Amino acid sequence: MRYETGLHKMPSNTDPRQTNPLREGLSSRTVAEPCTIVIFGATGDLTHRKLVPALYNLAADGNLPPSVNVIGFARRDKTNEVFRTELGDAIRKFSRQKVNEELWSRFSDCIHYHRSAFDNAEGYTKLAERLDELDKNCGTRGNRLYYLAAGPDQFEVILRNLKESGLNHSPTGGWSRIIVEKPFGYDLPTAQGLNKQVNEAFAENDTYRIDHYLGKETAQNIMVLRFANSIFEGMWNSRYISHVQITASEPLGVEGRGGYYDHAGAMRDMVQNHLMQLLCLTAMEPPTDLSADAVRDEKVKVLRSLRPLTGPEVIKNVVRAQYGAGAIDGKRVAAYRDEQNIPPESVTETYVALRLHIDNWRWAGVPFFVRVGKRLPKRGTEIAVHFKDVPPVLFNKGTDVLDENVLVIRIQPDEGIALRMSAKLPGTSLRIEPVKMDFHYGTSFGKAAPEAYERLLLDAMSGDATLFARRDEVEEAWKFVDSIHAAWIEEKDKTLRFYSAGTWGPGEAEDLLARDGFTWRRL
Amino acid sequence: MEKTVSKTTEFSPGLAVEIEQIDKELGRIWEESGDNQTRASHINLAVYTEDCSAIETNTEIIRQIAQDHACRAILICADVTAKESKVRAWISAHCHVYNIGEHAVCSEQITFKLDGDAVHALPNIVFSHLDSDLPLYFWWQGDFPSTFESDELWSWIDRLIFDSHSWQNPNVQFAILSKIQKEAGERIILCDLTWTRLLGSRFALAQIFDHPGALQQIDHLTEITIDHAPGHRTTAYLMLGWLAAQLDWELHSILGKHTFRNRAGREIHFTLIEKEGRCISVCRLASPDASFELRRDVGSDFFHAEISLPGVNPLQVTLKAERDRVTDILLQEIVRGGKHPLYLKALAKIEPLFH
Repeated sequence: MRYETGLHKMPSNTDPRQTNPLREGLSSRTVAEPCTIVIFGATGDLTHRKLVPALYNLAADGNLPPSVNVIGFARRDKTNEVFRTELGDAIRKFSRQKVNEELWSRFSDCIHYHRSAFDNAEGYTKLAERLDELDKNCGTRGNRLYYLAAGPDQFEVILRNLKESGLNHSPTGGWSRIIVEKPFGYDLPTAQGLNKQVNEAFAENDTYRIDHYLGKETAQNIMVLRFANSIFEGMWNSRYISHVQITASEPLGVEGRGGYYDHAGAMRDMVQNHLMQLLCLTAMEPPTDLSADAVRDEKVKVLRSLRPLTGPEVIKNVVRAQYGAGAIDGKRVAAYRDEQNIPPESVTETYVALRLHIDNWRWAGVPFFVRVGKRLPKRGTEIAVHFKDVPPVLFNKGTDVLDENVLVIRIQPDEGIALRMSAKLPGTSLRIEPVKMDFHYGTSFGKAAPEAYERLLLDAMSGDATLFARRDEVEEAWKFVDSIHAAWIEEKDKTLRFYSAGTWGPGEAEDLLARDGFTWRRL
Repeated sequence: MEKTVSKTTEFSPGLAVEIEQIDKELGRIWEESGDNQTRASHINLAVYTEDCSAIETNTEIIRQIAQDHACRAILICADVTAKESKVRAWISAHCHVYNIGEHAVCSEQITFKLDGDAVHALPNIVFSHLDSDLPLYFWWQGDFPSTFESDELWSWIDRLIFDSHSWQNPNVQFAILSKIQKEAGERIILCDLTWTRLLGSRFALAQIFDHPGALQQIDHLTEITIDHAPGHRTTAYLMLGWLAAQLDWELHSILGKHTFRNRAGREIHFTLIEKEGRCISVCRLASPDASFELRRDVGSDFFHAEISLPGVNPLQVTLKAERDRVTDILLQEIVRGGKHPLYLKALAKIEPLFH
């Protein structure tokens, strides 16, 4: 989108009527505000692979405000210099753009290490002193952004200490916000518990729950495709659409995350958050405006309209499966139960396929098929909207059945949009073949899209929560997923199916569509 | 990776073709390339120059633009002094492979040389070779002519690109531009590369005033100093014009001396200093209590800003600066789009300074 309009919101600690007049026309987004970012779990993988490279890239693209400090909060003993050196190595490895040493040198001066255990009250008192000092010296004006990048079992103690030390409120009238990484709980009760803890310390509008799928360029483009093009929205309903398929497949196994994954499974790891978000963006009504709450209100309505799956409905509409031994890219791979840190009797699903219905006027009678799996032949996340057949009057009759039109929104990799339609094969006879109009972001725009974390961090610094999950979204999604888990528990292990690694899942997943006369799309 | 379809060893704008065969020959290029090349286009980019020695440079610029923005490029070189009236054409393709193993994505370039009276065929040449339904970006290099036989051309242009810093007589050129805009109506968007060149500095200055303490000083500014490179007086004026437009200052002239005044009647003095270096190398703003400096050194990819506020240690900030080769400026213009309403506002503020 290209705009040259609008003045920009300024920090809450200045006169709220005062805007920066020099900002007019320079950027279409809300301006990020000077702040200090405190990362809990600063020595972990997420900080090194994603967060600090994302901050560096924001700086390199000129998107950071003039004053931004980063404080890494972690238990290990290290100095600022060692911490900076480690992060420097990380950005050289993981940054999407080449590192400029002059910029990194300036940027790393603003990175500090704060050693403390998460449950040490004194550590938070000292953190408060440090934050005040940075506010005074660097003009960060009491704005604080806390990032929970530690394990979820540490969230409670961090939140409690932030609250008890008063760090959840900015002393000088700035703002204090918190970013929470997934998983947002393990089920509805734990999610509600976590949300309660978070909201006891931070107001909901200062809480930013990250689902990095929402930060992906193509996920953001779903709304643009639907609501900025008049040709699609008129057909985006049960009158023209026969069904929708949402797929997230990957050839990878658990890759060292066995302990976490066996506890979570595909349903909790992928469906409850990422795929539900894609479903919402695909099915939602147009929001009244692009504000965070207007967009999230419409997404919540989709979740509330999902036809609940309970008891026998789960058995009929959900397929769960686990991969056995097989081959990926011609190489033998082990069965899930033979992976590291996986119990040999594990019944955790690595594949789920669901047949869902959204009970509202727009989608009445249109099934949404959602599948996610590990050790599938190919990596790909996409939304495929299958349109109804043309009437069997002129061309679509007898044995010459035409392929239906399919609009595919590819989320990753090779982000883009493709439309399959029918065309006459050149020649004197009438032969109709499917052809594909294919738009690739990479080749049309060339320029590399920013990483999801860049966009999301910038949004949190700007106070824009549109691409973050709201409390009710998270809880509605858990509510839906929990009833499926409850049915699985009731059925014990009888619902678990198996598929060979390197195949497209169990045969039962094919049957799920075959009942309606459909088949899964070939990726 | 780059691959060029034209098969000549010395520089040539491509394969020489008859005008009426252009579409057919372009079709042949694609047929011969088989399945491993994809033609893509989302703009028509026409480049007009009266300096025919610039064809090679312009072709190189188009090649670089096409890496990020697939386009149908039409390069026109007009030799108005030629005695013989003649039109010649060449075609070529710029292909880029983004990842190993992927298809090449190609943009087409059609180059025309118009000699003598054939220059009057310019509108027809452009109209008949546009890729349909795509916007027309027309880059006019050099001065605009004071009269132009077919005003119809302007009404077809979506974005008219030019570079005001190269004009010998900005006063006259801006007047012609104003006439073109009137004739073309609302469709045409004026894109001055001098304005685009200022984008990085404007962005960095705005970032300085994102700082809440700095913002409190913005209505109290009293001094502006801009160091600009020789030949970049217009660039410095546009910077001043932008500040004046955004901060609601009016130009006042007494006995040939110009100052601005803000809404409260406070005077803002400005000084432009011609100095070797970047087109704008330093911009200093000061109020009685604070000062702000934005500097970009030769060879640096960054702006260095210093914010000095009362009661706070001076804050030094490094801010990203765009590269300022003409290709980068042109790319920025294409990427950002927009209607540039601020450009016209800025221009209106400083118009008397050009007299």
